[in-house]
Amino acid sequence: MILADIGAGALLAGLVLAAFSTLLSFWAGRQENAVMVQVGRRAFYAAAGMVVLASVVLEAALLTHDFTLVYVVEHSDLSTPTPLIAAGFYGGQEGSLLYWTLVLGLLGSASLVASASLGVRLAAYATGVMATIVTFFLVVLVLVASPFDVLPITPADGLGLNPVLRDSGMLIHPPVVLAGFASFAVPFSFAAAALLANRIDAAWIAHTRRFALLAWSFQTTGLVLGMWWAYHVLGWGGYWGWDPVENVALMPWLATTAYLHSAQVQERRGRLRAWNFGLVILAFLLVVFGTFIVRSGVVPSVHTFAVSAIGPWFLGFLAACLVFSGALLAWRAGGLRSTGEPAAAVSREGAFALQNLLLIGVVAVVFWGTVLPLVSGMLGQERVVDASYYERAAGPLLAALLALMAAGPLLPWRRAGAPWLRALAWPAGGAVVTLLGLLVFGVSSIPALLALPLAVAAGVTCLVEYGRAVRKRRIGLFVKRRRRYGAYLAHIGLVVVAVGIAASHFWQQEADVTLRPGEHVSVFGSAFTYAGAEQRQLGDHSELVAVMRFGDTTLEPSRATYAGLGGQSLTHVAITTTPLADVYVILVGSSPDGSASFRILINPLVSWIWAGGGLLLLGVAFGNLGARRAETVAAVTRPAVVPSWR
Amino acid sequence: MLVVAACVGYLIYSASGGSSEYYLTVSELRAHPAYDQDVRVAGVVQNDVLHPPGPPGHATVQFTEKDSTASILVVYSGPLPDIFKPGITVVAEGRLGADGIFHARSILAKCPSRFSTSPYTQ
Repeated sequence: MILADIGAGALLAGLVLAAFSTLLSFWAGRQENAVMVQVGRRAFYAAAGMVVLASVVLEAALLTHDFTLVYVVEHSDLSTPTPLIAAGFYGGQEGSLLYWTLVLGLLGSASLVASASLGVRLAAYATGVMATIVTFFLVVLVLVASPFDVLPITPADGLGLNPVLRDSGMLIHPPVVLAGFASFAVPFSFAAAALLANRIDAAWIAHTRRFALLAWSFQTTGLVLGMWWAYHVLGWGGYWGWDPVENVALMPWLATTAYLHSAQVQERRGRLRAWNFGLVILAFLLVVFGTFIVRSGVVPSVHTFAVSAIGPWFLGFLAACLVFSGALLAWRAGGLRSTGEPAAAVSREGAFALQNLLLIGVVAVVFWGTVLPLVSGMLGQERVVDASYYERAAGPLLAALLALMAAGPLLPWRRAGAPWLRALAWPAGGAVVTLLGLLVFGVSSIPALLALPLAVAAGVTCLVEYGRAVRKRRIGLFVKRRRRYGAYLAHIGLVVVAVGIAASHFWQQEADVTLRPGEHVSVFGSAFTYAGAEQRQLGDHSELVAVMRFGDTTLEPSRATYAGLGGQSLTHVAITTTPLADVYVILVGSSPDGSASFRILINPLVSWIWAGGGLLLLGVAFGNLGARRAETVAAVTRPAVVPSWR
Repeated sequence: MLVVAACVGYLIYSASGGSSEYYLTVSELRAHPAYDQDVRVAGVVQNDVLHPPGPPGHATVQFTEKDSTASILVVYSGPLPDIFKPGITVVAEGRLGADGIFHARSILAKCPSRFSTSPYTQ
C-alpha cells in the first residue's frame, strides 16, 4: 500500500516537473535566457529522477509480492522464478509504458548534459521537445494506465505469467525492443529543436549520432532476439511471420538504417539536409505508430492485446506529432534546399540517396501491408495480405539493396571515373562464380539465383576493401579509420544474415511423420529413430518427452502441461545445429498406443542469421566506440558562442 | 527519385492484388460464401473439438462465432497451437469447400500476450 502511494506520488511529481520543464524551456529558448534554460534542463533531470523512483518502487513491489497492486497480481505469482518476476516490470501494458519513459528520461538526460555547446536555443528547444514527450507518457501513466492502482481486496497469490512468456527470451527481448523504440526520441527531439531554432547545419546530427547509433543497435538486437525467440520457442520453425507486431518493429529500423547512411552525406558534403530531418522525424513517427498499433489492437495480429483505453491517447499523440513535424518541415523548407552543383548520380552520395529511397520503399511496402486491413475495413470488406505479398513487393527492393551494397562502397565521393569500374570487377566476378555454382547444383528458382550472387558480391566488396589495406601493409588503418572498416564488418554481417535468410527461405524442407516406438524413418536423407516417450513431473508442470535419435544426437521434443493454468500446454521444440542446417523436430501429438507424430524441418543456414546479426552489431560497435567524428564535417554555420552564465 | 517511387508503387500494387485475402468472421463467411478462394476466418473454438481416429495431431475442429449464431465446421490436420482449446479465438486460413466445410491450411491462435486482460481489470 505504502509502495503504491510512493509510486503514484513519484509519477505525479514527475508529470509536474516535466510539464514545467516543457514550458520553461520553450519560453527561455525564445528569450535566449541561458539561466532559465539551465533551470528547464534541471527540471527535466528531476522529472527523470521521479521516473527512476517510480520504476524502483514498481520493481520493489513485484519482488516483495505486494499483491495490493493490480499490476503485481496480474503479472506475477509466488511460484514465478525471481528473474521473471523482475521482468514483470516491463511485461505488462502499464509497466512497459513506465519502462519506455524511464529509458527516455535517462537517455534524454544524458543527451542534454553536453547540449549547451549547441547554443542556447537549440539546447532549450531540445529539452522542451523531449520534456513534451515525457509529459505525454506521464499523463497516460497517471490518468489512464497507472501501474500503481490498488485492489480493494488483497489476494493471496497473483495470476502469474503465461507459460509462453516463461522463457529466458522474455528477459532480454522486450526490454531491448522497447529501449530501441524509446531511445529514438532523442535524435527526434534534437532534429525538431534544430528546425525550431533554424539551425540547419549538421551540429544536431553530430551531437545525436551516438544516440541514433544506440537506438539502431537496440532495434537491431531486439529484432534479432525476437527472431531467435520466435524460432526457438514460439514459432513453428519460423523466425519471421510478417505479423503487424513484427512489422512495426521493422519499419523504424529500416528508417534508422537509412538515416545512419544519409547522415554521412550531410556530415561530409552538406547535402540531404531536408531529407535527414525528414528521416529522423519519420523514424520517430513510425515508433509512435507502432506503439499505437501494438497497444490498440486495431489491426488483426496473432498477438492479441487487450483493447485498452490508451489506444485513443496514442492516436492523438501520433496525430499531434504528425502535424507538428509536418508544419515544422514546411515552415523551414525554404532554408533546407541544397546549394551548389547537383551531385552526380554515379557517386557515393548518389549511392546513398538510392539506398535511402530503396529502404524507404521497403518501409512503404511493409506499411501498406500492415495498414491494409485497416484501410480496406473502412472502405468495405476487410482484407489481409500474407507473406507472399511481402516477398513479392519487398524482395526486388531488397535485392537491389544488396546490389547497391556491392557497388556503393567502391564509389568515390563527388564523381566516379574509370577506376571505379575496374574495382567493380571483383564483386561482379564473385557474383558470376556464385551464379554458375548454383546453376551447376541445379538451382532453378529465380529469386535464389538473384539473391545469393548479389549477397556474395556485397561480401566480396567488403573483403576487397580489407584486402587493399592489408596489401598496403597498413593494418593500423583498421583502427585509425575504424568508422569505415567497422561499417564494412557490419556489411559483412548483413550479408551473412541475408545468406541465412535466403537459404532457409528457399530450401526449408518439412515432413510430417507418425512413428511407433522403435520405428525408423528417413527424411531428406537423414535417418531418425523414435525411441519412445516418457512422462516427467517438473515443479508446476508435467512434460511428455519424446526421445528421437538422429545419428549420435538425441533429440527430445516435448510438450509441457501446466495444470495450474487450466491445463495450458507449451511445446518445446528440439533443435540440433549441423554446419549446414538446423534439424528442428516438433512433437505434434501422441496417442495412447504409444505412437507419436512429429513435424521434422530441415532449416538450412539458420545459424548464419544469428552469427551475422552478431557481426553486424560488432561492426557498428567497433566502428563507433571512441571513434572520432566524420573526418570532414561540412558545417554550414559555426555553432553560436555560448554565453557563459557562470 | 520518381523512378524508384513508381517502381515501389507498382510492386505494392501488383503484389497486393495477388496476395491479399479476405479476413472474415464466421457470420460474414456464411452470409457471403466465398468458395474456391483463400480466406481467413476468425471465431471462437466451441466445446466440440473432435480428434478423429488416425494419426495424433490431427484435429477436426468446429467453432461457432461467439457473438452471433453462425457456425462453421473447420477441418484441419496438423500441429495445433499450444493454447488451442475451447473458448479461445483462432484464425483459420483456408478455403470453404462446396460441402460447407472449411478446410483449413493453418490455424493461428491469438497469442496470449503480456497485454491480455484478466478478471481483475474487467
